[in-house]
Amino acid sequence: MATCKNDGGFQGGCMTRRAFLFRGGAAAVSTVVLPILPGFAGKALAAQVARYPRMKIGRLSALVTDKPVVFSYPDKSPSAQSILVKLGVPAGGGIGPAEDVVAFNGQCTHMGAPMSGNYQPEHKALGACAFHQTSFDLRRHGIVIAGHATESLPQVLLELKGDDIYAVGLLGLIYGRHDNLAAKA
Amino acid sequence: MGAKDSTPFYQPPDKVPLPPANAEVLTTCCDYCIVGCGFKVYRWPANAPGGGPKKNQNALKRDYPLKPLEGGWVGPNQYTQATYKGKLYNLVVVADPDAKVVNVGGTHSIRGGCIAQKVYNPQKPTQDRLRQPMVRVNDILMPVTWDFALDIAAEVSKHVIREHGEDAWAMKYYSYQFFENTYALTRLALKSINTPAIAEHDHPSKVDATPGWTDIGYDMFAPAYEDYALADCILVSGTDPYETKSNLWEYWFLKGIRENNTKLIFVNPRKTTGVAYAEKHGGLYLDIMPGSDTPLYMAMARIIVENGWEDQEFIKNWVNNFWETDSGFGRGTRNTPWQWRTTWGMFQVNGYEDWKKWLLSQEESKPEVAAKIAGIDPKLIYQAAEMMAKPKPNGQRVKTTICIEKGCYWSNNYLNTVSIGNLGIILGCGGRPGQAIGRLGGHQRGGSNGGPYPGMKSPYKVPGRRRLELDVDRWLESGHVRFAYVVGTTWIQAMAGSSALQDAFKRYTKLNPHQVRTLDKQAIIDTLKKRVDSGGLVVVNQEIYLRDPIGKQYADIVLPAATWGEEDFVRANGERRLRLYSKFCDAPGEALPDWKIVSMFAQKMGFEGYDWKDSNDVFEECCRFSRGSRKDYNAIRVIARRKGMRAHDFLRTYGTTGLQAPLLIDGDRIVETKRLHDYNRKDIPDTGPEGATIHNKRLLAFNTHTGKLNMLKSPWKYWSDFYVFMQPRGEELWVTNGRINEIWESGFDDYARRPYTQQRWPENFLEIHPEDAKARGIESGDWVAIESDRVPVQKELNLGVKDGEMWFDGLMKRGHITLASGQFTAVAIVTPAIKKGVAFSNFLNENAPANTITPRVPDPITNNYRFKIAHGTVRKIGVSQYKHRFDQMTFARRDIV
Repeated sequence: MATCKNDGGFQGGCMTRRAFLFRGGAAAVSTVVLPILPGFAGKALAAQVARYPRMKIGRLSALVTDKPVVFSYPDKSPSAQSILVKLGVPAGGGIGPAEDVVAFNGQCTHMGAPMSGNYQPEHKALGACAFHQTSFDLRRHGIVIAGHATESLPQVLLELKGDDIYAVGLLGLIYGRHDNLAAKA
Repeated sequence: MGAKDSTPFYQPPDKVPLPPANAEVLTTCCDYCIVGCGFKVYRWPANAPGGGPKKNQNALKRDYPLKPLEGGWVGPNQYTQATYKGKLYNLVVVADPDAKVVNVGGTHSIRGGCIAQKVYNPQKPTQDRLRQPMVRVNDILMPVTWDFALDIAAEVSKHVIREHGEDAWAMKYYSYQFFENTYALTRLALKSINTPAIAEHDHPSKVDATPGWTDIGYDMFAPAYEDYALADCILVSGTDPYETKSNLWEYWFLKGIRENNTKLIFVNPRKTTGVAYAEKHGGLYLDIMPGSDTPLYMAMARIIVENGWEDQEFIKNWVNNFWETDSGFGRGTRNTPWQWRTTWGMFQVNGYEDWKKWLLSQEESKPEVAAKIAGIDPKLIYQAAEMMAKPKPNGQRVKTTICIEKGCYWSNNYLNTVSIGNLGIILGCGGRPGQAIGRLGGHQRGGSNGGPYPGMKSPYKVPGRRRLELDVDRWLESGHVRFAYVVGTTWIQAMAGSSALQDAFKRYTKLNPHQVRTLDKQAIIDTLKKRVDSGGLVVVNQEIYLRDPIGKQYADIVLPAATWGEEDFVRANGERRLRLYSKFCDAPGEALPDWKIVSMFAQKMGFEGYDWKDSNDVFEECCRFSRGSRKDYNAIRVIARRKGMRAHDFLRTYGTTGLQAPLLIDGDRIVETKRLHDYNRKDIPDTGPEGATIHNKRLLAFNTHTGKLNMLKSPWKYWSDFYVFMQPRGEELWVTNGRINEIWESGFDDYARRPYTQQRWPENFLEIHPEDAKARGIESGDWVAIESDRVPVQKELNLGVKDGEMWFDGLMKRGHITLASGQFTAVAIVTPAIKKGVAFSNFLNENAPANTITPRVPDPITNNYRFKIAHGTVRKIGVSQYKHRFDQMTFARRDIV
């Protein structure tokens, strides 16, 4: 493990994790269609998303701009820790009337540092990662702004039903896993 | 535009296969930057099942999911498929999670991390690898056989050498792509043909990158990576190791900052993540104007000596006095590069005190004057000098290390390397843990010498008795090159003033009346002979991809090369560490390794001794020519033979750790070298090195005839005439250039062929300060045009006789400078992270090369280009699609920490 004693931003083993898991969503039957992402291979996405649980993770009316909410998806293991955030500006894959609500897995895709506490409101970014300072742009599908990661942050696909926000799938592989759905809590 | 219109660029996979427990494991290193991280390749048949998540079920021997920092994660970009001996395999390529050196624990960069995608895979973007030799007929590159292509190349070569002389046969080649290949190439060009018209990929001539240090006596790759974790203070000039040299940052610099409280001082016009991180951890940032380094280092030195903070004991023991500097050595002082450069007494001093006197007499060494030239607050210079040199409260010296890279030595090449080298001397840098001085480096160190450079054949002579190596770009532009063998470089975009160079290529190839319009081999040879006899040029381009324009537009013959992973090779990294890079897959089509192509080409030309069986054969031959060098690896061959092993196989047993050169032999044991100039070193064999290794002076002392350091003057006047001309005028800005983490020593195949890198950087970019942008109506995401109509290009062969004739003003006066035009486009990124008055662009974008506007006037002292010093106008030409889309690129600041 990298040492964290000189690094104020370090959130790793030094922090008590608070995972917010909303139960019941997975069992709920929804008539809401999958988020349509034009230009995307629709069937492939549908097939990929069909593998995932559907979980209620929050309410739109409860979100405050630039105040991320931590939740776990698609399971309860530490690497499932994710953030749901209302950016206040439109974002790729954003939901809500302002298309500004997005969610991402919070583990750095470089070497797996938990970054849920590293949201940067000024830049709408997650990072810099405490391990090696990679940063990710949450407006743009979690793309690497600067750094060493070889993947964007996995984006949690969201669905809005009334005021309820559901997580319905993931774009990209969570760090440390070989299959997003193979991890045991 | 809203989120509903946004599309992810592509659908990233959400699962990957793991290598099964019985997968084969091979070791290699990353192919890209100098750090040379260790990697492991896991290979198993495509039709065999993958491994499971338990550690006894997979070859990584790890339980999935991995914990943070565990290393060895197989993400989507670490998996591919390729054939090996004709059979299809799954391949996983990951940074070695068990690495004990360099990238300890398996850290990696974005480039190395994606290196599995470098492997030729017809289903992926690497599908356009060159697979077959081609000859241009009626302006179409047509596939032919090896014999067909090489018979033409050999016949035309022989004709050119016979009729036009060996200096009409030029070779432009990569200096780094493995010892076996560079040995074969230089043996052909230097030993067999003996042409002076040879240059590596990044210089116009076969020259030294840090000549100031050469003259001082510092080896540019002396430090060990450990030194960056042991220093109290590190001066980083002209680079950010976070961006370029990723794992040197990720492991060693961060280890220093976290465990040793190392303070970093950055000198750079651009604030990047490493700079911001350093500032947050007690570091300092000097945001200087491009090209203003020399006064800055002189001013720092002045503050240090005025306060008596210099390392007096080190100076007493390790600095030459006048007699020592001037004393002859072997055949006399004039045969050292140092004397060639200094015949006029422009730089020599009479020992340390004389240097000090000189320094204090210089206007530019006054901190306020230096600060004005550099465009910074003078307080920063005082602060930096204090951090580096003011003794600690307990009286101990601060352990300071200096490291530089291209922003430093590709602007004011000689004076910057001299002035920062002097600073190193007075700080006691060199040879001690945490007190080192070195380059951080660019490409890996895979150069070897197959023959001596025929310096006396170069026609370039400058005042005094000085003769400079032949400038191949100028030589070609003047029409003297009739055959160009271009290996593994774009040549044109990689050189300064590239638009004018491109015009020259076009003039001598495409616009020559003698064009091939037949597939009759003899008729092709006859046509090309007519072309060269009429003043034209024949180009042979040996590459892994078809490059535009050198291959696509100008090459008459294109030869497909095999590369990393397709052959066993050896190379060193930036701390002189040699590893074996294993072959683990087939080369595409009929592509062959460069050494093999040279072997066939040379034999067709009638040269002997090129009948190597395999790359190990070449390696064993070149080992002995490494003796006495920084990378002396002859011990590998000697000890391997004693053990009855092939040299490659012997080195393979050292895995990703490899051996750190120079290597010495003690009995049957190899003694490695952690750092050079290590005068406190005690592990040199008592009996002395045996015959197979050479007891190299730089092991225990510095690299001069006495083993002590030369202090040198760095008079500003030898740069200021050029600098005045290059200053932005009117609406112009400084337009400097450099590399970024995502595209660093990897542009040749990584950038264009990694979907993720393309998503991040679909176009060239220009960083511009908000105030400069506002004045031009530019916003992030706008397309901008960067242009200059006064790009100086030095032309024609010139012979300098009187002092001053070869300086910029002298060249201008004598009509040896033409002003060319150059332009490129980019997507603007408006950011306060770049200094006001300066814009920054990617260095080597194929379609928008920043070098179209860089000056092709090499440093008259050293023949190095000043790539970082350019000016241009910047104007908006429209709005790019990226401005309002979310799927590609980002305009967020790159200095978030």
